[in-house]
Amino acid sequence: MKGEGSLLRSYARPRRSGAPAWWLQRVTGLALVFLVVGHYILMHYNPISGHDYGQTASRLASPWFKGIYLGFITIGMYHGLQGIWNIVRDYKLKPAVGLTIFGVIVIAGVVFVGIGWNTILSFDPLKP
Amino acid sequence: MPYTPERRPFSAWNKLFLGYRRYSGSWAYLLQRLTGIGLVTYLFVHIWALTSLMDGRAAFAKEMVTFTSPPFKIAEWLLGALVMFHAFNGIRIAVVDLANGAKYHKKLLGAVWVTGIAVVVMMFFLIFSNEIFAK
Repeated sequence: MKGEGSLLRSYARPRRSGAPAWWLQRVTGLALVFLVVGHYILMHYNPISGHDYGQTASRLASPWFKGIYLGFITIGMYHGLQGIWNIVRDYKLKPAVGLTIFGVIVIAGVVFVGIGWNTILSFDPLKP
Repeated sequence: MPYTPERRPFSAWNKLFLGYRRYSGSWAYLLQRLTGIGLVTYLFVHIWALTSLMDGRAAFAKEMVTFTSPPFKIAEWLLGALVMFHAFNGIRIAVVDLANGAKYHKKLLGAVWVTGIAVVVMMFFLIFSNEIFAK
């Protein structure tokens, strides 16, 4: 970024291609089709499958399920917030406004992925 | 046939709501964005609500009393409609972008609606199985 000026300027005239983000949005989207639709059906397969502590605890006892959920949260949040940013970018915003929204999106994503991972990793099925 | 937008005088409101969104693909584009915003909003609420898993069995059960009440069950079923449209139309977008779906994108959109409505109706019977099939 030599000679490009401030961060604001480089945001206003981005040099990097958006192609990787565009491609990742398709790939994560296709993965999420199976993850989200599967999750939705599993959570409502019967009245307790998604709304009972014991059922949830038995799923979280499996390291496979834990791993899938960690990835699910991460790519779900990435896909969602990349999509929001994609919508925001369609509007002609002042660089400072765009950069602020981008910052809020990134921070919110990192914080909520952290909250989700924390819930799964610190889950203790024996707690009363 | 090339795309030729009609040139008719529009009022400002007609322009906003009907001007360039009268074609099925434009509605799909708009709906994909609106359902996407809805789903990512739900994702934040979902992650936050499930932190109660860390508070143990009693706290989780107490929360689930609310979430299994009729208004929330209906909301959860309607959430499925957002999910199914966004997921199936998302497949359509991937087929258009990564394969030769542009040649048959309207047929794909028909399939999106048919599959989506079928799955949402099926989910109604699963989610409300207790209420429908009570002895």
